Amino acid sequence: MNKIWIIIKREYLTRVRKKTFIISTLLFPLLYLGLIFGMGFIAEKSKQNLHVAVIDSSGYFSTDAINKQNLADNSSVLTLVKSNTDKIIADHNAEGYDGYIIIPAINWKEGSDSLFFKANKSYGSGSTAAVEAKLNRIWNEIKNDSLQIDTEKQTILVKSKLRVSARNIKDENANVKTAEGIGYVAGFLIYFILLIYGSQVMMGVMEEKTNRIAEVIVSSVKPFQMMLGKILGIGLVALTQFFLWIAFVLIVYNVGKASGAGGGMATEMVGSMQKMFASVNVPLILFCFGFYFLAGFFFYASLYGAIGSAVNEDMREAQSLSFPITMLVIISIALMTAAISDPTGPIAVWGSIIPFSSPIVMMARIPYGVPGTVPVWQLALSMGLLILGFIFTVWFAGKIYRTGILMYGKKPSWKEMIRWAFRKN
Amino acid sequence: MPSILELQNLKKYFATQKAVDDISLNVERGQIFGLLGPNGAGKTTLIRMITGIFYPDEGQIIFDGKKFDPVNDVGQIGYMPEERGLYKKMKIGEQAMYLAQLKGLSHKDAMAKIKKWFIKFEMESWWNKKVEDLSKGMGQKLQFVTTVLHEPKLIILDEPFSGLDPVNSNLIKDEIYNLAKSGSTIIFSTHRMEQVEEICNHIVLVNKGKKILDGTVKQVKQEFKENLFSIGTEQMLSSQNGNAPFELVGSADHSHVVRIKEGQTPNNVLQYLLQQGIAIHSFNEILPSLNDIFIKLVEGTPTARQFQKVEA
Repeated sequence: MNKIWIIIKREYLTRVRKKTFIISTLLFPLLYLGLIFGMGFIAEKSKQNLHVAVIDSSGYFSTDAINKQNLADNSSVLTLVKSNTDKIIADHNAEGYDGYIIIPAINWKEGSDSLFFKANKSYGSGSTAAVEAKLNRIWNEIKNDSLQIDTEKQTILVKSKLRVSARNIKDENANVKTAEGIGYVAGFLIYFILLIYGSQVMMGVMEEKTNRIAEVIVSSVKPFQMMLGKILGIGLVALTQFFLWIAFVLIVYNVGKASGAGGGMATEMVGSMQKMFASVNVPLILFCFGFYFLAGFFFYASLYGAIGSAVNEDMREAQSLSFPITMLVIISIALMTAAISDPTGPIAVWGSIIPFSSPIVMMARIPYGVPGTVPVWQLALSMGLLILGFIFTVWFAGKIYRTGILMYGKKPSWKEMIRWAFRKN
Repeated sequence: MPSILELQNLKKYFATQKAVDDISLNVERGQIFGLLGPNGAGKTTLIRMITGIFYPDEGQIIFDGKKFDPVNDVGQIGYMPEERGLYKKMKIGEQAMYLAQLKGLSHKDAMAKIKKWFIKFEMESWWNKKVEDLSKGMGQKLQFVTTVLHEPKLIILDEPFSGLDPVNSNLIKDEIYNLAKSGSTIIFSTHRMEQVEEICNHIVLVNKGKKILDGTVKQVKQEFKENLFSIGTEQMLSSQNGNAPFELVGSADHSHVVRIKEGQTPNNVLQYLLQQGIAIHSFNEILPSLNDIFIKLVEGTPTARQFQKVEA
């Protein structure tokens, strides 16, 4: 036991002291936020403001109505063209338009028609959507005028709507939107951890094997202790990184709360976070996150460790051999996406119980509420099976590791590795 | 006092090879014990069983008078494998500390011992360097220090001199003598026979998983001597005469190599030569070198072991 502790200490300290650890700990949240905001920003930027010529054959459109909408929303400009239409159709660019739309002679009462925005370039749906929305607003006004609906009635028509969202009667507090958000974040975090730290375990084992220090170490400790020490040490590194991130969020939260009176945005954020925390069971989520993160890490890291012990210094060998394991993680993410949109469906239930996918899939379901969405028996079964699962993978990996770490030469196949696991000492 | 290590009918079969096939041997305390054999003879497998890395399929290992207990006894063993291994990116001082602690030393003890050895080998300035900054020879010295640091009762060195220059070789050699003198037992595995002749008291030769020779260097040489003598004389020598007690194997100038005939003794030879009135300058027995013995014993067996199915 004492020796495992020494190994854990080394594995932990050499990694935490590295610059790359500090940098990645700081950069990951920034990258994550950057990704979210950046995508919105890029989507916004990639919309083009179009100048569109409207050639009206129906006679409903008037320059006044169009100009009114142009004033209200300047993201694209529509111009009603009455003369020179042939010229525009022949060469819209020369006339200063990005393209044109011909409105056929339609009746306003049944005017559901597909129109074409014609241009000599391709434009994305983001750009044409704005034009479509504007045209429809004008069309609505035309209809309202024809039906003699005044502003008051219009407001009623627009405002009065029935909305339906899911509410679980066993768990009145559950908020689907929040649960979805937390589920996504938790699932993806576990996914990243499994892949990044799993491959760190693999690389660490490969390093020991190619450096030939493995033989020196196994003359002092058992191969199993060596492997376990590495997995635990690297798991602690991952845990440390998490605590730093949680601390980071708490600091932002508290600073935001303290300065809340002043900044509008900070108050808003803190307010929405408070609301969010109120609608979910934070201690339960944190506990489950800790459990699924650690158990899932043991499950996968031991398999990655086994592969690291079986291959030589060739990175390609390691990649081809670890492909099935990586696939399991990626399948889990696919199952998670399904589970988030339907947290009580069969994919969600089975995905969250079967050990290989349960760390990611169950974490996506738990924010919806226990026992509202996830019955206690499912959670207990999932945890129990995952514990059995990682005990099995650690045992299995230990057997492969023992043989692989001192074996040089040809890369073994999965079949051979399984044979190593089940043969006697 | 019982011997430090006793192997009884040790066997280890792999899927395609009988790596160690019924080997028994005894290593006495304070000995420098040579474990010899061609490549692939089973030396490494044998060593790995002694260091607790492999479990034998059959047979017993008695360490220090008791049945070998890998978990607790490994602290009494120091092993330097042929393939050297250290963490490239780890600082040298920390590395020595780590390996010493894995052998069960406390931080304080380890520190004192590391300092002692680093001073002895003039390595004090290396403490904060990384292994990747060291030359091969320097790495070798560090490896040796980490092997013997915890003052093991049994030290196993696999090709300890490979990659070392003569100065550093001598440094390590002196330390090996010192360690043996202060009571440690050393198992020394190599195929460099001149080193074995120089250093070892006792040798065992293994080939194809079996022990084919066991004895002190002197005994072995006696056993394999061919009754050859070199004689330096003034006159020419001839054994044409039927009643000479020797036959001439070869001559060059005034020195001759003779083989004494069955039933004759060196004294008979001298007597005969004196009677012939031959002036003798020198008379020496030619003992075979370990190298010759090694080649003689191993020759004729395939240089590489063949893979075969093993029915265990």
